Amino acid sequence: MQPALEHQEEKDSQKEEEEAPPHELTEEEKQQILHSEEFVTFFDHSSRIVERALSEQVDVFFDYSGRDLQDKEGRHLSRLVTYPELLVASYSSNEDAPHEPDGVALVWNMKYKKTTPEYVFHCQSAVMSAAFAQFHPNLVVGGTYSGQIVLWDNRSNKRTPVQRTPLSASAHTHPVYCVNVVGTQNAHNLISISTDGKMCSWSLDMLPHLELVFKQSKSVAVTSMSFPLGDVNNFVVGSEDGSVYTACRHGSKAGISEMFEGHHGPITGLDCHTAAGPVDFSHLFVTSSFDWTVKLWSTKNNKPLYSFEDNSDYVYDVMWSPTHPALFACVDGVGHLDLWNLNNETEVPTASVTVEGNPALNRVRWAHSGREVAVGDSEGQVHIYDVGEQISVPRQDEWTRLRTLSKIQLNEVLQLWALKHIYSFSCSKSQCRGRTSGRLFACVDGVGHLDLWNLNNETEVQKSPRNII
Amino acid sequence: MLQAEVEETIKRIQSQKGVQGIIIVNAEGIPIKSTLDNSSTVQYAGNVHQLLMKARGVVRDIDPQNDLTFLRVRSKKNEIMIAPGKEIIQKPKQM
Repeated sequence: MQPALEHQEEKDSQKEEEEAPPHELTEEEKQQILHSEEFVTFFDHSSRIVERALSEQVDVFFDYSGRDLQDKEGRHLSRLVTYPELLVASYSSNEDAPHEPDGVALVWNMKYKKTTPEYVFHCQSAVMSAAFAQFHPNLVVGGTYSGQIVLWDNRSNKRTPVQRTPLSASAHTHPVYCVNVVGTQNAHNLISISTDGKMCSWSLDMLPHLELVFKQSKSVAVTSMSFPLGDVNNFVVGSEDGSVYTACRHGSKAGISEMFEGHHGPITGLDCHTAAGPVDFSHLFVTSSFDWTVKLWSTKNNKPLYSFEDNSDYVYDVMWSPTHPALFACVDGVGHLDLWNLNNETEVPTASVTVEGNPALNRVRWAHSGREVAVGDSEGQVHIYDVGEQISVPRQDEWTRLRTLSKIQLNEVLQLWALKHIYSFSCSKSQCRGRTSGRLFACVDGVGHLDLWNLNNETEVQKSPRNII
Repeated sequence: MLQAEVEETIKRIQSQKGVQGIIIVNAEGIPIKSTLDNSSTVQYAGNVHQLLMKARGVVRDIDPQNDLTFLRVRSKKNEIMIAPGKEIIQKPKQM
């Protein structure tokens, strides 16, 4: 919402008459003033300030709870807005403050460098996953350790949830690591999966109630879940046993469909391809695991298409860029954030950064714009990285190049790129498991050394050693 | 800035997205130039002048060495930006 602005200037009359000033000025007098040197000086100075003020993009008055958009009867005007600058992160308990509630979710605003969150939400049980409720900009959903799904509302004055699912055998009784809102504005559900493999589908429409409709799936210790682009029925889950399962929500074969084996350790992160373009890659997904690898899969094959083995520690999370079809980010337990561009190189990351102090990085999320990456670490910090244009912005041919995945060659790349650390948030020391909803906010990423791969020269491709800047 | 640029600048600011109008008034709050209609101009000029005097008084009262440099009135629907000129307490009449 852009405020309508009116600009008013005031100036002193330079030629003040000694007799009582006229109540109105004649046209001649006005012109005289406007043409005087003093006026020009004043106007020169003031118009600069006003033009700068008019060009400001930032609106510090904005109320994310939408109270200022209520009409006279107090009804909320419908909005289909999303706030890409907001990020929600959930944290495990703070060892230094045992009296604080176990479950904490904080909403940070990335537009401003303030050190405090926009909203602070609590609950009694540790929050393992948090997301903005898509289509409901005021709501934040949390999946907790106890199995309860909680709903926070930024319009209420309380920090505690406004809605909770029952703690019963018909809902979840195991930690919920995955929550996701899928569907469209008029038909959407909240999907949650707990570590015993139970998937529940909740209705957010009949607010404030969460209506439960669920399907039982095979006993799978689910750690991560993702829906392919545009799909609300079929989805993919990764589990503790190192296998990937495809499943669907509805139909005669509701539940687990297939099992893909490949990882040698628990799967920590899973993400379906999201960058829409001329070629459909929605069957592709990536997984990260404790086995030090990231693997690329297709839902059409039960074996991985490719294995990325550059890491030397647990890989905790992986995510595709929302805009670039060949780009994904992954984070590991020793502070590395790696960006892989499959059109460039599949042996090593295209870009890499190490967070100072080498904390374990638990989560990585791309900004909706594809230009920023967010990383949450084990110290409770969330870091935001700006990704250089040369890496983050896809060219026209990226989709067709990716299609020849089976014959990946090393391509010559001329550019240097940079990952610049913008700023980092910090919180009291605690484990950080951050997550952003796919639609509403950007992600941040860590700081550290910058490794540059310098590939120059069109005829000769050199894999030069890492240059530290 | 040249005299000709003044007119250009006024037009440019007026044409910016979101700008409803520009009013230039003198020290007494009498409008000298305005891009709004007459009744609005008079309404704004009178009200803002009073507000400006008050605001300036506040600043001077708290610290006589200080002076008001800019005033922004932000409301639900829009914003008024007020750039005051230098206040001249007294200027001898030119003979």
